[in-house]
Amino acid sequence: MAKVLFKFEDGSQVEASAALGENLLEVARKVNVAIDAPCSGNASCGKCKVKFLSGELDSKKTRHISEAEYSEGWRLSCVSTITGDVEVMVPDIASAYKSRMKVADLSSPEEIQIFNKATEEIKAAGVEFKNSFEVIELQMDEPTLDDTMPDNERLVWALEAQTGKENIKLSFTVLRKMAKVLRAAAFHVKAVVTVKDEEVFVYDLVPADKEAYVTGLAIDIGTTTVSGVILDLLTGKILAKASSGNGQIRYGADVINRIIEQQKPGGVAKLQKAIIDETINPMIINMCRAAKVAPNCIYSMCIGANTTMNHLFVGVDGDPIRMEPFIPTFFGTDSIHGRDLDIKIHPDARIIIAPNIGSYVGGDITAGTLVSMVWAQESFSLFVDLGTNGELVFGNSDFMMSCACSAGPAFEGGDISCGMRATDGAIEACVIDPVTMEPTFTIVGDEGTKPVGLCGSGIIDVIAELFRCKIIGPNGKFIREGARVRHDKYGIGSYLLATKEEAGSVKDIEINEVDIDNFIRAKGAIFSAIYTMLVSLDFDVSMIENVYVAGGIGSGINMENAVNIGMFPDIGVEKYHYIGNSSLAGAYAMVLSEPAEEKVYELSKNMTYMELSTTPGYMDEFVAACFIPHTNSSLFPNVKQADI
Amino acid sequence: MPFNGKSGKFNAAIRTVEIGTGDKAVKLGGECVAPLYSFDAPIENAPKVGVLITDHGFENESEGIKAYYEGCSNWGEIAQRAAAMEGADFLVLKFDKADPNGENAPVEDCLAIINEVAAATDMPLVIAGCKNAEKDAEIFNKAAEALQGKNVLIFSAKEENYKGVAASAVLAYGQKVGAESSVDINLAKQLNVVISQVGVDMGNIVMNVGTATAGYGFEYVVSTLDRVKAAALGQDDAQLQMPIMTNVGDETWAVKESTASEADIPAWGPVDARGVNMEVATAMAVLASGSNAVILKHPTSVATVSKLIKELM
Repeated sequence: MAKVLFKFEDGSQVEASAALGENLLEVARKVNVAIDAPCSGNASCGKCKVKFLSGELDSKKTRHISEAEYSEGWRLSCVSTITGDVEVMVPDIASAYKSRMKVADLSSPEEIQIFNKATEEIKAAGVEFKNSFEVIELQMDEPTLDDTMPDNERLVWALEAQTGKENIKLSFTVLRKMAKVLRAAAFHVKAVVTVKDEEVFVYDLVPADKEAYVTGLAIDIGTTTVSGVILDLLTGKILAKASSGNGQIRYGADVINRIIEQQKPGGVAKLQKAIIDETINPMIINMCRAAKVAPNCIYSMCIGANTTMNHLFVGVDGDPIRMEPFIPTFFGTDSIHGRDLDIKIHPDARIIIAPNIGSYVGGDITAGTLVSMVWAQESFSLFVDLGTNGELVFGNSDFMMSCACSAGPAFEGGDISCGMRATDGAIEACVIDPVTMEPTFTIVGDEGTKPVGLCGSGIIDVIAELFRCKIIGPNGKFIREGARVRHDKYGIGSYLLATKEEAGSVKDIEINEVDIDNFIRAKGAIFSAIYTMLVSLDFDVSMIENVYVAGGIGSGINMENAVNIGMFPDIGVEKYHYIGNSSLAGAYAMVLSEPAEEKVYELSKNMTYMELSTTPGYMDEFVAACFIPHTNSSLFPNVKQADI
Repeated sequence: MPFNGKSGKFNAAIRTVEIGTGDKAVKLGGECVAPLYSFDAPIENAPKVGVLITDHGFENESEGIKAYYEGCSNWGEIAQRAAAMEGADFLVLKFDKADPNGENAPVEDCLAIINEVAAATDMPLVIAGCKNAEKDAEIFNKAAEALQGKNVLIFSAKEENYKGVAASAVLAYGQKVGAESSVDINLAKQLNVVISQVGVDMGNIVMNVGTATAGYGFEYVVSTLDRVKAAALGQDDAQLQMPIMTNVGDETWAVKESTASEADIPAWGPVDARGVNMEVATAMAVLASGSNAVILKHPTSVATVSKLIKELM
């Protein structure tokens, strides 16, 4: 056995013991040291860098670490083997993905507006916002030696009298606590119930003089980021909101790597634990603390997640999703309750899962579609969810088509050497001066935050600006020289965004031709999917009236630049609308409103899933779209470059 | 109602690119009709046939090719013999031996051959490399310099080396340049765009969109050629209106049908004739799909294909 000490930049440290020959990244994962490894430890992404401080470590050199870096002690943890006691330093950037959990009462006016607008629009389209939760106040006779009816029957009688319903069921939680609650409140209580048709289900009892909180939980499980809200089920008011990195990230950046990890021994439990214990439960606890309610008062929950994420969450085998013919275990399911999963909500709370419609178009999209309002308009609109997988829905009130394309993690900063998620220090916007080639940034975080890397919207801006300033050509290769343009010994060009002094980091922040190439492929996947889907319907991009863009790429996305690099069709910036986290907003609507839940099911049944990989011509379109803005430049008549 | 034939002439045309100088200079492209559709409108320049010579000599070539060059003692004689083939329009010099993963012959050796050939013949020359992008860039640079004024075609620049190759060939030494991609219309167009952004006028570019031997995934080749011409003529896509040259001989003489000996597969008959059949069939198929020139090896193939072209014009 060897002792492994992980030190962090903030001075804290974690000690682990490991067997000789064990892989350093695996050791880190075991003791929950967050090291970003989007490629799941294949030495292909170069993100899991740590600094070797002392002791022994057998580590291969890879193309991700320069000679100078190697001699400074930088190692890739995934190719490092424990050969003895060792101390390593985990730099902030390696764990930057583990974004600090934000608990805010929807403090940003933009966020509140997006939510309110979503619900108002759904209501306006005729979907009622109502659910069957009620709080019923009951005054029962106290039992005596002459009145010996047991507590549960007493409660049932009282409820029958009050509601006129005969089929009344009590939660086991109620049964367990009722003796004390009833007596402490002199049999004057409030019951939290659902009243459906002939059935009344009692979730909870509180003394009549206490507030009965009836709350619900909506969670969007993204492959990269998880966010959620707690809401009052009676009023719809949002009580707290939180977001966090998906704890499964250290098992791979994309769904395929996660499924592969799930197949390893203990994998099902490991991935489920990562999402529930390490991600969702802490979020619930934080939100409940902020909202001043007990987790047990969450009586209903809705998950908006892609097919893989909801399968891993529930703990069912994801392998068939990955393998031809790509069949998931479920599209929709109504059989899961709080008690079935180790999740900190009421044990009888129903866990609603927004229905999937295919292996690669999941509940996040069906929930998001409800919010996008594509289904409520006669004119044609396009709904695009930009994530690790890009999903599209196109249609109107008569029909909807949907497809998914694999964009890779580039929109969230993966596969990009200086990429990061949109947390503190991320460059989220950039303008480059065409003459001096000097950049100006907008950086996430408080004033004075130093740049650490590029998040998705920042990458779009940087590439669009490099192209506009003719620093890179349409193939993403550098064609202009300058103080900020460098070439390595293999001739790979790069653009210096910030020196290590400016960044306060160990390494200059640069974007290189390989990064640009990766991003061009991601944007090419999105555009070619849009184009192929429209062409297969005999439609033309000019028929799109509105484009609703959702996803974690953030409200910082500059639509004009996204069009300029050829990610979205050139149909006028005014047609583009950023609708935020539509999966979360949809989940919110579904947990709050039963008609909304039914509507999502109805929409999911009316959506036609188109498999792009089997569509002839998709690969051709993809190659054509892997150019800035496009090989067929007539598709982008408004894209202009600066005169230099 | 009587049938009225309607001309399928397009309002767009393929650019004309001239290679070589003097009487023997050849013009590629210029047509405004579908491949070989001379009945729709006259085809300005008939497709051309080039003869391939590699620095390996002829030891490993088929009997017919070996026999044709018998007695040649130097590259000048070889070039003159090749130029004398019936129907030959231009010569192609290819430097397989220069490949760093093979014999790694020095660039000087290539230059020596080039100089000997250039001195011996006034046929238009096409200079092909060794498939290694880096070495090709060196060979092409030296060749373009050495052959200044001869208006040769440097065949060809690709994604990995286009910047240096296109700039040196066309901008520095006034030659023509090939743009090589691998059987994909989009990649072909993208390369044309980036080469023209180096400052090369599109009128100096000949496309090399790649090929295969008929029967070996050849559908992709046909589809690519078809769509390149459809876009160039039908949609007036200026970035695809370059004439196309296809190195057929190099491909077809490498497949089993052209190499397996008669002793091994008696039912297939004599190997030399088989090789010619593969070469001619493939050449005619790429010409019918839009190629403006083919590169061949066997004298019989050169004669047959050029005769076929003449008949169809």
